[in-house]
Amino acid sequence: MDDTSPPPHSPNLPRPPAGAAGAAPQPGPDEVALVIDDRPVVVKKGTTVLQAAEKAGLLVPHYCYHPGLSIAGNCRMCLVEIEKVPKLQIGCATVVAPGMVVRTGNERVRTVRAGIQEFLLINHPLDCPICDQAGECRLQSYEKDYGRGVSRFVDEKVHSPKRYDIGRSVVFDGERCIKCTRCIRFCDEISESHELALFQRGDHAIIGTFPGKPLDNPYSGCTVDVCPVGALTWKPFRFKSRVWFLKNVPSVCAGCARGCNVYLAAFRNRLHRMTPRANPDVNAYWMCDAGRQSYAALYERPRLERPVVRPSAAAWDAAFDRAAELLRGVAKSRGAGALAGIVSARLSVEDLHVSRKVLGDLAGISRLAVPPHEDGADDELLIRRDKTPNARGARLIGVGGPSAGRVKEIVDDVAAGRVRGLVVVGEDLLELPGVTTALLDRLDVLIVIDWWKSPTVERAHVAFPACGYGEFEGTMVNFQGRVQRLRAGVRPAGEADPVWRILRDLGRRFDLTSEYATPAAIFDEVAATVPAFRGLSYKVLGETGAPAAEAVAGEAYAGGAPAVGGAGLAGSIAPAGS
Amino acid sequence: MAFEAVLTRNIRKPGSDGIDSYLASGGYQGLRRILKETAPERLVDEVKNSGLRGRGGAGFPTGMKWGFLPKTKDRPRYLCVNADESEPGTFKDRLLIEKDPHLVLEGIILSAYAIECQLAFFYIRGEFHQGYRTFERAVGEAYAKGFLGKNIQGSGYDLDILIYRGAGAYICGEETALLESLEGKRGYPRIKPPFPAVVGLYGCPTIINNVETLANVTLIAERGAAWFASIGRPPKNTGPKLFCLSGDVKRPGVYEAPLGVPFLELLNEYAGGMAHPDRPLKAAVPGGSSMKILPASKCDVLMDFDSLAAAGTSLGSAGGIVMDSGTCMVAALLNIARFYAHESCGQCTPCREGTGWIVKILSRLERGEGRREDVGLLADIAVKIEGNTICPFGEAIAWPVDSYVKTFRDEFEEHARRGACPMRPATVR
Repeated sequence: MDDTSPPPHSPNLPRPPAGAAGAAPQPGPDEVALVIDDRPVVVKKGTTVLQAAEKAGLLVPHYCYHPGLSIAGNCRMCLVEIEKVPKLQIGCATVVAPGMVVRTGNERVRTVRAGIQEFLLINHPLDCPICDQAGECRLQSYEKDYGRGVSRFVDEKVHSPKRYDIGRSVVFDGERCIKCTRCIRFCDEISESHELALFQRGDHAIIGTFPGKPLDNPYSGCTVDVCPVGALTWKPFRFKSRVWFLKNVPSVCAGCARGCNVYLAAFRNRLHRMTPRANPDVNAYWMCDAGRQSYAALYERPRLERPVVRPSAAAWDAAFDRAAELLRGVAKSRGAGALAGIVSARLSVEDLHVSRKVLGDLAGISRLAVPPHEDGADDELLIRRDKTPNARGARLIGVGGPSAGRVKEIVDDVAAGRVRGLVVVGEDLLELPGVTTALLDRLDVLIVIDWWKSPTVERAHVAFPACGYGEFEGTMVNFQGRVQRLRAGVRPAGEADPVWRILRDLGRRFDLTSEYATPAAIFDEVAATVPAFRGLSYKVLGETGAPAAEAVAGEAYAGGAPAVGGAGLAGSIAPAGS
Repeated sequence: MAFEAVLTRNIRKPGSDGIDSYLASGGYQGLRRILKETAPERLVDEVKNSGLRGRGGAGFPTGMKWGFLPKTKDRPRYLCVNADESEPGTFKDRLLIEKDPHLVLEGIILSAYAIECQLAFFYIRGEFHQGYRTFERAVGEAYAKGFLGKNIQGSGYDLDILIYRGAGAYICGEETALLESLEGKRGYPRIKPPFPAVVGLYGCPTIINNVETLANVTLIAERGAAWFASIGRPPKNTGPKLFCLSGDVKRPGVYEAPLGVPFLELLNEYAGGMAHPDRPLKAAVPGGSSMKILPASKCDVLMDFDSLAAAGTSLGSAGGIVMDSGTCMVAALLNIARFYAHESCGQCTPCREGTGWIVKILSRLERGEGRREDVGLLADIAVKIEGNTICPFGEAIAWPVDSYVKTFRDEFEEHARRGACPMRPATVR
């Protein structure tokens, strides 16, 4: 669980049996031993009480504390009792000291916490039934533990702007806001775009923007993630689904070479949102707005839902037979040199591995090229100029990295009539420089595997419907050389199949003997045969991935360094559960 | 021994705000001597020995505060003068700034010398227009006469002073909010620790002292710690003190008296007694609007830090407010609560939400729409705020609410019971 998830409802574990304190581990030179709720805890020097309690399995309720942001100490929810200190202290800002005795849940602490909770709700609209945050709202979670159930507040609430477009994609509700300033701190410290600030004073204090400067940075969606209540909502997700109906699947964004760890959230077989999933080595707690909405293409572009043998839809077997026949025909009449393939670095390691096997080894296509997709520049946080999520994987697997030159050679050979048959996987050729419909019409054979009805698909002799992002599982290697797993959040549209399975079944027409039953099995073969992947398996990759072996040995693996701009954001990442 | 007014000795002289008048009455002699004869640490000891306690409200020993500065000198140190006097009923610093700015300035230079700092900031409340002009002129005069700038009076000691005008927020009188404001940010109190003596203005060690405190440093330098410590109620409540009195008194104003002067003496002899002979004393807040109220029966107290603490209230900034029998305590508290709700910076939850809630309940009680449970609710809100906020502003609202409700509970309950304010003639609805 990371910070985007609501806290558990009954966070505190039962007390250890009496005498357990005797088994306390001895603190090392850089460590501090203390006691929290009768539990001995040993933590690194400089750890805060809140983090130490977390380590001991005790969740100290909090709103304003976020492990990726500076300490604000304003919500006062994490007040705890420390022996020999007269006033309660905030756990988020109090650093542990040797021999400290902390109580996080006694009567005094609980009474104060209930008071804070009540204060936060007196001016809150209590509009949970129509609030998108309901179900993952900290006000709700803590109200369950600390609320009195009946409000003692009978006066007129403070009113603030509601449904206010604070930025391009974010809507602000001033009445739901608890002024924790997480969003302000995000814009000051992470995106460094400084759009947000607090205005006014007292209970009229309100988050706002400066005249003519809306919240419009490439990471604005993260303000919605860090908002512990329903004050900031993500426009594309508003009123789309109750969050408790969403199935959150851990996956990886395929929007660029960063490979931010994400949750794909689906309801009724439709993706409704992508949110960042904490990974200290890759994206810390963040992701960019473009990546956040990258799944939307699945619903915006016309889908290819069935195989096509021009000019009409066809059954799978007929399409495979026809494709094999066409490829053999070109090889026979023009020689294998007249065949070429364009495969995408947006495909998974498994897809690319089977591509190399089936297209290269079996169908005899000696030339495979991978088109580059670059846009803008690398920024200092997450965004990469390289928009292909698996360029590094294509290189490691032996297909070769994205190369405009190699693509151009093939395009030139098509123009010159030297290439007569082309297999295209996951690319729209007409997006590439120098490719025109007239050029494609010169081909004797054009076989396309893609998830949407691209202009290239329209001109294919045979086209196969592939899974789109979010519909397949597999692995990709990010720019750091980190191998990470993508998972499927929804079932494929129509008859679409994963690329590796389409290629496998095509390969059967060329005497493919490998079974390739699952992506995991393909990955195991990759691990066994490709040195860069030695020792890896889906199990080893787990939820947050692992560096490719070759990347570690050869080029310095970038994943050990802070994932995010200079000052070690990743270094500040606390254990999960914050 | 008759008490000799020293803090206010110049204020009635013509041209008391100019340097010529100040020099003519012996001003800056103490500074000249100290710079020539006394090492900074000796001056710190002198202030420690005097027993001087901060006059801004908390009463913390000034010399001890200076002693918290780190011994290393790898970073610049700053002295910030807190001239953001904004507590309702407190107007003593204003008098000093407007009438005897050089007394304050000499204290600033002495204190800066004592803590070995080369740059002092004078943070003055934005509404003090005259005070700002007067002080700015005084600073210019001091530069011209070589009491500020490079090599002060040939001593080799350099000091510059910057005047910074606040923008009108009470909270900027809280020392860490003052620092934030000085740094150009929103006036939000900081989380402590670290304390300003270690991490203060621009991250550097910083001492923040009140105007009256610094004026006292001038007197200590001039006459010595032993003299200072002999005034008032030694050993812990020493020195002269400015007391403000306002409300239902005959002569509201600032009065200088030794620490420990009886409140009733201040009221009856200095301020001329109650304004209306037929309306006796009902209650008083001896320390200022943010302190706990005392009913008339408990007003026979000595005006010093420890005596008032023993009486269940505090000296605060010595902004005494006197209320006679015509005062409605609900209305009085509402008046105070409105101020604090308006001035709450809004940073932390209990104060931001609690102050507004208190105002709403009190308004309802005063309007005649109160409920019986409102009285207990008020006290409970105060309890939930007190001690749980980032800065002492929480106490500044919790203490009055708690003490007014506890002391005058019957009156609050009567408001709810009658559905009207019993102190006011029935109004036509």
